[in-house]
Amino acid sequence: MSTRLAVRGLAVPFGDGGAGAVHGLRDITFSVSGGDCLAVLGVSGSGKSSLLRALAGLQRCDAGVIRVNDRDVTALRPEQRSVVYLHQEPVLFPHRTVVGNVAFPLQVRGVGTRDAARRAMEWLARLQVDALSMRMPDQLSGGQRHRVALARALCAEPAVLLLDEPLASLDSAVRRDVGDALHAARQASGAAMVLVTHDLDDALAIATRILTLGAGTQTALDAPDALLAAPPSLAVARLLGIYAEVPGEVVQGANSALFRWAGGVVPLAGPLAGGGAAPGRGPVVACVRAHEVQVSPCSDAAARGGMPELPSLTVTDRRDGARDAWITLRDAAGATVSVRTGSGTVARTGDIVQVTLHRARLFPPD
Amino acid sequence: MAAGRRVSARPLRIGRGIMLVSLTMFAMAPLLMLIVTSLARGWFHPQVLPSTVDVSGWSELLTDTSRRTALVNSLVLGVATACIATLLALPLGRAAALSTRGVRRVVALLAFAAVALPPVALGVGLQLTVLTMGLGGSLRGVLLAHLVPALGYLTLVFLGVFTQWDARLEEAAATLGATGRDRWTRVMLPLLRRPIADALALGFLVSWAQVALTLLVGGGAVRTLPLDVLAMLQSGQDQRAAVGALALTIPALVVLGAARVAARRTTAVIA
Repeated sequence: MSTRLAVRGLAVPFGDGGAGAVHGLRDITFSVSGGDCLAVLGVSGSGKSSLLRALAGLQRCDAGVIRVNDRDVTALRPEQRSVVYLHQEPVLFPHRTVVGNVAFPLQVRGVGTRDAARRAMEWLARLQVDALSMRMPDQLSGGQRHRVALARALCAEPAVLLLDEPLASLDSAVRRDVGDALHAARQASGAAMVLVTHDLDDALAIATRILTLGAGTQTALDAPDALLAAPPSLAVARLLGIYAEVPGEVVQGANSALFRWAGGVVPLAGPLAGGGAAPGRGPVVACVRAHEVQVSPCSDAAARGGMPELPSLTVTDRRDGARDAWITLRDAAGATVSVRTGSGTVARTGDIVQVTLHRARLFPPD
Repeated sequence: MAAGRRVSARPLRIGRGIMLVSLTMFAMAPLLMLIVTSLARGWFHPQVLPSTVDVSGWSELLTDTSRRTALVNSLVLGVATACIATLLALPLGRAAALSTRGVRRVVALLAFAAVALPPVALGVGLQLTVLTMGLGGSLRGVLLAHLVPALGYLTLVFLGVFTQWDARLEEAAATLGATGRDRWTRVMLPLLRRPIADALALGFLVSWAQVALTLLVGGGAVRTLPLDVLAMLQSGQDQRAAVGALALTIPALVVLGAARVAARRTTAVIA
């Protein structure tokens, strides 16, 4: 699909309406095609919401160009942009019924009441809330309010749909429900979507690309798979929040560079070098995902023929999450390191284990 | 564990009943007295009830030219004060609410001053101002004077309304394509119906009950119903004064009732 939203060199000033924004934003450049969804990830105060508000025309920009459907909208008022902004908490007009809310964008465009109501009902049906059409907003549950707000936004047939943390503050059942609605909305409308979130799972569920913000500027822009495979910096890897950080150092081996850490020495080639900027000699941080770590009790390792070149480590702590387990290991010198691994790992506290890294991304330490 | 002593509900109910009756009597007794006096001719102590019922005081209210003028002046002043003060206070309160904290405080202080200053002090100041403007003794001059406390009250009302106002409603409407005018007519005004009704009622009542400002600025040339009632009391015309006093309460009750009804009416917009 064609580019719906193109942003070039955008600068948004500090503290101009962006709730809690710590940094102003500068040099923001990206584009989103129709039917695509760009997730904007950043820590609290990184300016995510300010960016969305600037795109919607609710906040001024210091520099840069915003183009919607190849039309420069930077200086236009919000109602002239064809950009709909959905607040984190759905903002429904309390004096209008559900169908009245959804018909609102059509009515302000001059569509007749009957036709507007018919088209509003179509969107309500697509989002499976048509049975609620005559209710008032205060008679809806949280998930229903989200769906109605989404139906209203889609009824406006915008070129760009901006979603400000739509899944935050929702319990897990409603979260899944609204997530499904967003997914359906992305497929049903030809709008470009920009989704602000601080949750990687939300981004992965909906987005086709991810943009990360840090220290007032964009730090990465890539497809989710590519970004997870090779985050461009340690800061981005930390923001993604799915890696264990394993400290070590790069040393010169006989034939190639080696990564040496508490769990052993690994040749710095192939998958181990994947991702990140190639570090020089000296201390590095390896970022490792759960499925890239294998923790084997020494007895199992011996049974499989053993890995005599790997030093043994002691499991000093284990914390299990829903999908992964954090295991804290201590080497012979008493140094500790934590790795994240699959929850199926059998190692328990007190076990002697050997650890194999199948893949890692090396970065210079902070 | 020792069981707590159960408090009997009966004495509480009786106490509540006595309090309710006392309060009702306290509030209604003057009104009842006014009603009886307005219908009595020659009712003197120690008669418990008047010997003759006479409705001439009521018919005079509408037929007597001077009383009718006073009534019409009061109504005109009340309606004009309510409308003008609401039209001015709404944008003023909104602008102040959207301003910095300092501006908000200054506006609130000024509005409060207009309300809290003793009417005589305010009246003397206004009298001098209105005289300077050449409006002394005129209905327009009195209207100007009534607007000062009314604007104070109503600015405080709208300052409170817009301080609590959810600006996201306007943002949502704007990004959905609503122009500034659409936002006012389709979102803000329907949601502001209740505070506007309250403001109109309050503005009317501030003017309707005004005595000191009317007297000082109108200089006796502008007759209103409250001034008429005072004049009749001073000249010992108790029945006519009672009729005037009751007539003063009727529009107040009607306006308050209408404001409540306007606020209660559903504001639902189907589509």
